[in-house]
Amino acid sequence: MTSPLTLDAVFHIGPVPITEPVLVTWAIMVVLSLVAHLMTRRLSLHPSRSQAALEAMVSAVDSQIADTMQADPAPYRALIGTILIYVLLANWSSLIPGVEPPTAHLETDAALAVIVFCATIFYGVRSLGAAGYLKTFAEPSWVMIPLNLVEQITRTFSLIVRLFGNIMSGVFVIGIILSLAGFLVPIPLMALDLLTGAVQAYIFAVLACVFIGAAISEGRPPRRAEAEQQETR
Amino acid sequence: MRIDWWTLGLQTVNVLVLIWILSRFLFRPLAAMIEARRAAATKQLDEANAARAAAEAERQKAQQEAADIAATRADALKRAAEDAEAAKRSSLAAAREETDRLRAAAAADIARDRQQAAADASNRASRLALDIAARLLSRLPEEARVAGFLDGIVTGLADLPAPVRATLGADGAPIRLKAPRALTPEEIATCRARLTEALGRPIDIAPVVEPDLIAGLEIDMPHAAVRNSLRADLDRIAAGLMEPAP
Repeated sequence: MTSPLTLDAVFHIGPVPITEPVLVTWAIMVVLSLVAHLMTRRLSLHPSRSQAALEAMVSAVDSQIADTMQADPAPYRALIGTILIYVLLANWSSLIPGVEPPTAHLETDAALAVIVFCATIFYGVRSLGAAGYLKTFAEPSWVMIPLNLVEQITRTFSLIVRLFGNIMSGVFVIGIILSLAGFLVPIPLMALDLLTGAVQAYIFAVLACVFIGAAISEGRPPRRAEAEQQETR
Repeated sequence: MRIDWWTLGLQTVNVLVLIWILSRFLFRPLAAMIEARRAAATKQLDEANAARAAAEAERQKAQQEAADIAATRADALKRAAEDAEAAKRSSLAAAREETDRLRAAAAADIARDRQQAAADASNRASRLALDIAARLLSRLPEEARVAGFLDGIVTGLADLPAPVRATLGADGAPIRLKAPRALTPEEIATCRARLTEALGRPIDIAPVVEPDLIAGLEIDMPHAAVRNSLRADLDRIAAGLMEPAP
């Protein structure tokens, strides 16, 4: 067992070291691309079971986005849905013998958190404008500007550390027990890892929704409150 | 602890590429299909609503037609009832008219029968009276059956209007004088003398035997007749009996 805080290159492409998380991520990308292509080749108004399952998943993602962000889910569906699916498959990839999940390394979690951080800024600026978005850092008063700036950084780090800690710890615990107890003993812990992986994927996606939703709705009345106000008029 | 920036960068690119791939090949087609299904469902709902509205309109139309049919039926029943009532009244009127006619015919028949019965009774009474009179007169002298009625025939002759009396025996024709038996010469002479005296000019008489007279005399001319006989009296009595009561 190697340290999760260090990465060894499997091979190099020129000066670029290709590590195991990158390879596993490429494998996940290939699998997901093939599955997406195969399952959306023959979509029909009368869905098959697989199409119905996929549509149910997309509807669930849309529903979660709409509930969390109080906004139309279409612009955020690809980002949130991809993060959910990727993190879930990355977490569950530990079930394959010899494969270490990419999310058990800081680089992958940091990449995901950076993408969420950038997406938060992008959607906030697109929704409120650059000045409007910057003004949100002075809410409720200018005194809060340093705290809000620090919050942007800390919540991104919290995303990284939460996912990394949960998945890495699971992998380590299983590795330690496997080395100490034997072949079949870690199976219950692996089952628990499945649950942990699913929960962490859900939490990561929901927190991304919350951050983006907060960015696009900061300083504006909630959508529901707007609707109620329009109804009262 | 060491951050592998190459891995961080590659993973960032990998996730961004994966976002694009899944957006292109998974989320967008599925969302489009969900939207298409929603649109199709909305269209079907709209069509169903339109069909329901059309069905509702048809139902209301059918209800209206049923109401019209009911109204027409009620009108037809009312008309039929009125026609039946009219036919009933007509039939009753015709029956009443027929009844009245039959009743009138029956009354006429009854009246005729009564009249016939009265006539028969009168005839029987007349015959009975004739028999009685004939039996009574047969007990009287033969002269009484003529002489006793001579004054009456003279009086009846005097009661005739003057123009009628002037025609009696004016052309020399004898006056037909009916008697219940053959008159004797003395009786013929007496009758001629009394009639001559009543008319105021000489006349001749032609006696005619008429046993039905029973008793009495009668003058029977084409333009005048004077009856003074028991037969004439019985005929008058019978006619009086035959007259309907006022």
